[in-house]
Amino acid sequence: MVDKIKVDNLSCYYNRKCVLESLNINVIQNEILSIIGPSNSGKTTFLRALNRMNDLDLTYSRRGEVYLDGGSIFDISMEDLRRRIGMLFAMPTPLPMTIYENIVYAPKRLGLISKKSEQDALVERALKDASLWDEVKDRLKSSAMKMSGGQQQRLCIARILAINPEVILFDEPCSGLDPISTVKVEESMIGLKQKYTIVLVTNNVKQASRVSDRTVFFFMGKIVEIGTTDKLFVSPKEKQTEDYITGRFG
Amino acid sequence: MRRIIDTIIEKVIFSCGTLSVIFVILIFSFLFMESFAFFKDFDITKFVTGRYWYPDSEPALFGILSLIVGSFLVTLGACLIAVPVSIMTALYISEVVSKSVRDVLKSLVELMAAIPSVVIGFIGMIVLVPCVRKLFNVPTGLTAFSGSVMLAFMAMPTMVTISEDAIHSVPWQYKEGALALGATKWQTMRRIVLKTARPGIMAAIMLGIGRVVGETMTVMMITGNSSRIPHSIFEPVRTMTAVIAAEMGETVKGSMHYKALFSIGLVLFLITFLINFVADLFLGKNKNK
Ligand SMILES: Nc1ncnc2c1ncn2[C@@H]1O[C@H](COP(=O)(O)OP(=O)(O)OP(=O)(O)O)[C@@H](O)[C@H]1O
Ligand SMILES: [Mg+2]
Repeated sequence: MVDKIKVDNLSCYYNRKCVLESLNINVIQNEILSIIGPSNSGKTTFLRALNRMNDLDLTYSRRGEVYLDGGSIFDISMEDLRRRIGMLFAMPTPLPMTIYENIVYAPKRLGLISKKSEQDALVERALKDASLWDEVKDRLKSSAMKMSGGQQQRLCIARILAINPEVILFDEPCSGLDPISTVKVEESMIGLKQKYTIVLVTNNVKQASRVSDRTVFFFMGKIVEIGTTDKLFVSPKEKQTEDYITGRFG
Repeated sequence: MRRIIDTIIEKVIFSCGTLSVIFVILIFSFLFMESFAFFKDFDITKFVTGRYWYPDSEPALFGILSLIVGSFLVTLGACLIAVPVSIMTALYISEVVSKSVRDVLKSLVELMAAIPSVVIGFIGMIVLVPCVRKLFNVPTGLTAFSGSVMLAFMAMPTMVTISEDAIHSVPWQYKEGALALGATKWQTMRRIVLKTARPGIMAAIMLGIGRVVGETMTVMMITGNSSRIPHSIFEPVRTMTAVIAAEMGETVKGSMHYKALFSIGLVLFLITFLINFVADLFLGKNKNK
């Protein structure tokens, strides 16, 4: 088992207020790691620290290190880092262009593809991997803003797959979706595990137990417990974890 | 009782609205009638394409081509300066600085709009005109270029404020989405932010141009007031607005000259009307999205 990401003593601050305190955690190659925890426990902050989205916020500062494949993520450019670590947000974030353009936008800019035939192939493969191809194959040239929320979210997955990252971060990807779309997104996540390493933040404890290999429980900016999903859900070591997953608080 | 107040307020608002429409129609028909009388005695093509504006010669010449060229040159120059500067300023205010700095900068820019045009003309006369004369080595600093620079200052507050609003209202999800795909901040601004905000920015530009075309005092003070067709922007020009403002006081009411000035007014009115109309089209497009 190889560590894909290693977080070493990471602390995060907004306006000098400590949001995450001395985290040590590793993400194993080709696993799905779920992060659960009540609101404001710092889950999103942690995820955004991994691909340095937080660095855009002027009030944000951090201490500690994050390593990707053994190298510090602060030694490579943000653009390269985000190409290697893709991120999916809670709200679907399609760009205001056609479905087709949404997918080729980043690969074209990065110079991964140029020929029209390559683009077509890439769009098809990405949409198939995100289980969206059948629904949109006849309307690739229509605006992405006209799709349903679930379709938009899967388009965003397809868009990430098109730049072929190594890690994908999901931040509550199903919070705005109906149960059927949720199942579809979960299915594509499990399929993606073969090729990618996945970190999933979810408010839905059941979802964590359905899809993930390991689960972390965050509370007030600290890790309370981490373990394989089976163990954590069946016999949690900490009282707080047990209370949370049985729905007694949070 | 509440019902009565409601009806009264409704009536007042309605009559205010109707009144402003009526005023516009009145102004337009007034301009139109005077111009129509003028065009009965003076050929309209000669009016628009004539190169010479000699209202006092015998026979009087009322060609406004040089004035149209003058207005056009000054406006074009002002746009070339104001548009890029305004868009970059708006991007900077909206995307780069922190929120508190943004508020300060924005109110400063809005304050710029409150400077009276006489003051802008005055500053141009004292500061810019001598500089232009020395820098470009021309006989006089009272040139179309000087007018453009000062008018750019006047157009910028409108352009900056409205385009900043447009840029700021681009949903942050678009930006995050693009950034998370590995786009640089600059690429995100150019490809996503500017593209999404384009209708609003176009409207801002149009409204700024509208202000420049109609501006009178500044151009009268610093463009030299020479009604010849210029060969470059470093020559004096005369604009339509300056002619009306300068000559209206000297004419005999009802004379040809008097009516000719109204016809220039009509041309100006049509131009600004067109610009505002185009701006509205862009703004409307923005809302429908
Ligand atoms: N941009 C920001 N500026 C200032 N404070 C922030 C910012 N983002 C998050 N915080 C603070 O950091 C803490 C952790 O927030 P975070 O969004 O990471 O929580 P979360 O676990 O993702 O919660 P949720 O389940 O509601 O999404 C909160 O107290 C929040 O107020
Ligand atoms: Mg969150």
